[in-house]
Amino acid sequence: MKRPVQSRPGRRDFLKLTAGAAAIVGAPWIARKVEAKPTTIVFARESSYVKNFDEHFIKVMIPAYQKATGIKIDYQIQAAGGSAVPQLVSMVENKSGADLAWVQQEWLYRDALVDVSDIAEAVGKENGGWYDEIKLLSVDNGKWKSVPQANIGQLMVYRKDWFDEAGIKQFPETWDEFLEAGIKLKAKGHPFGMSMGHGFADNYSWLYPLLWSYGVTVMDKAGKKVALDTSETAKAVDYVRRLYKETCIEDCIGWLDPHNNKAFLTSQISCTNNAYSIMVSAKRDLPEMGKVIEHGLNPKGPNGQRYHALVPVTHGVFAYGPEPQAAKDFLRWTMDPKQFRPWIASGDMYFAPYLHAYDKIPEWDIEPRVKPYHKVLETGKLTSWPAPANRAHGTVINRWVVIDMFSKACLGAPTKTVIAEAVTQLKQIYG
Amino acid sequence: MSTNPAVGTSGAAALEARAYRSVGLGRRLREFIEREWVFSWLILTPPLLFLLCFLGYPFFYGVYLSFFRREVAGSPTFVGFGNFVTLASDPIFWQSVGNTIKFTAAATVLKATGGLGMALVMNQNFRMKAITRALLLLPFIVPTVLSTVAWQWIYDPGLGLFNRLLVESGLATKGVSWLGNPTMAMISIIIVNTWRGLPFFGISILAGLQTIPVELHESATIDGASTWGRFRYVTLPSLLPVIFIVTTFSIILTFFDFQLVYVLTGGGPANSTHLMATYAYSLSVGVGQMGLGSAVALSMVPVLGLLLVLLTLYVRKD
Repeated sequence: MKRPVQSRPGRRDFLKLTAGAAAIVGAPWIARKVEAKPTTIVFARESSYVKNFDEHFIKVMIPAYQKATGIKIDYQIQAAGGSAVPQLVSMVENKSGADLAWVQQEWLYRDALVDVSDIAEAVGKENGGWYDEIKLLSVDNGKWKSVPQANIGQLMVYRKDWFDEAGIKQFPETWDEFLEAGIKLKAKGHPFGMSMGHGFADNYSWLYPLLWSYGVTVMDKAGKKVALDTSETAKAVDYVRRLYKETCIEDCIGWLDPHNNKAFLTSQISCTNNAYSIMVSAKRDLPEMGKVIEHGLNPKGPNGQRYHALVPVTHGVFAYGPEPQAAKDFLRWTMDPKQFRPWIASGDMYFAPYLHAYDKIPEWDIEPRVKPYHKVLETGKLTSWPAPANRAHGTVINRWVVIDMFSKACLGAPTKTVIAEAVTQLKQIYG
Repeated sequence: MSTNPAVGTSGAAALEARAYRSVGLGRRLREFIEREWVFSWLILTPPLLFLLCFLGYPFFYGVYLSFFRREVAGSPTFVGFGNFVTLASDPIFWQSVGNTIKFTAAATVLKATGGLGMALVMNQNFRMKAITRALLLLPFIVPTVLSTVAWQWIYDPGLGLFNRLLVESGLATKGVSWLGNPTMAMISIIIVNTWRGLPFFGISILAGLQTIPVELHESATIDGASTWGRFRYVTLPSLLPVIFIVTTFSIILTFFDFQLVYVLTGGGPANSTHLMATYAYSLSVGVGQMGLGSAVALSMVPVLGLLLVLLTLYVRKD
């Protein structure tokens, strides 16, 4: 006998039944999930050279946030010295690892960051506004993709005692005076150590400002046309070659970021360009040397201008995280002056805020030799300046195009050749 | 337990039958496993799965990426051989190819000759031989990044061991710039690689030396062979298979070297120590161009593939 079709349970009925059962069983869990707050937020950040800065975050800020919200902050400290970017790239590629981070070289993965315009605009409004230059990094297509925390200033770090011995009472005002001073100091056995290797800060922080002070930029403002191929570039290259040969320790051409710190602290060089981490280490471990370290602004160039390179610290929230809004809430909380000011102060202003409200705070007087680092904000430019800080710029930085233009000249290559090679690479990169 | 003898008998029979079946099953399973092809595959499967997951997947993903323009956090766009065309006109790529060949050739020759010497010395009888052998393995055991940081100090211009020795001994008036000069920087990374790889050669060749029958040496001595003659006509020919295999493996490992250059020079000064591995890393992770970086990495495959074919042919012939 043929059974009626309706009474026969089909595959579709089975699926409906299963889905219904799953919905009934799963409903309480889903409801819990919707209501539940995240219990932990992972915050990744490169370790600070100023120990107190990280300690303040761990001992004061994390417990305070947990007390206020019940959310625990898992602070993942990344080793300094170039390992943070690979870790961040790996996190982005694997869509895991941290909810928010110090997003170094954010142009590499802006698409993976959420819009934080609401936070950045509110913080700017409450704190006297942002320095304009940092917007060129954090704002992409009209949206803030990161909230700037601070700048790590890079200045000339020098041995005042040796400069005095050589009869140089004031730190040189121009690059020509800087060369003269270097010649005198090298003659006395105290060469300069200006990094020119494949590092990520101490090389750019003087070579780019030097180039700018010769009236040269790498690209035009739109980032479309290579602007490097000028006679002024040739003068800058010739100057650096002379500076290297007549004032510097030979090794500095291959130095990575830690090398100049090491050479300075072992009294092998009298001057380098660096953050004030050298003074921090000297005051801690070599008190006598700590007393004779001073900081000078980058000298002025033929165009009469003085420039510095910004080394920005910006925080971004990853879009792939389970609770981006919770990470944003935490980021907003850190930027509240109640939290932010003691945090910045704990680092002895090693991290200089890009907010004008912090320009004249008494914390800048903690150590008079730190104060010049605030000047970096006034004359500081991103290494992409005046072009956008985008992926193409990142390629220039990470392939050391400009740095190698100078270093090849120091190794004996003709000026025209090194500029032509750099220009060819730039054209390839910017298409 | 049943008290009924009838039931007990039939129960015992059932148990016996089950046991027989179970023994039969066990035996059949054992016989199945002991078949050569089954056993081979059983042994091979775990390492094959491991290799497939941890080498095969990244390798094939790398091959896939090399045909795409793919940036970090971006979606891929098929470009065919576009990445390889880009590399063909990239002077840094060709410089890194040249550097890799120079680095691999020099370091391998030094490691092979040094390793042979080390093995010959270690094969002699002397006091504290065992501990000396163990100590010689240290460079191979210490993590590369750690030992390379120590080498940074050794190469330090003012305080480094080498320059202090040169100046204090009067051999030079001022120290050498080990990492600040393109030629010296290349020599420096070759020295570190040789130092690290020497024990691998030394220990492998030593193992080979110990398999040479003493009778061969005795016969050669009776026939009037000198020490050099015994080495040239007995030791060296017997060691050639070991030396060939160890050298091939070493070439592959040296060709891929990354850590020591990354830590010591970052590929500088002016790209003079950039190897293909460091350049691939720089493009993939630094610049964020995963496709282009993969293309650099893939460019290493033909050379290494050729070596692998040679090795396979040699092993088969043997």
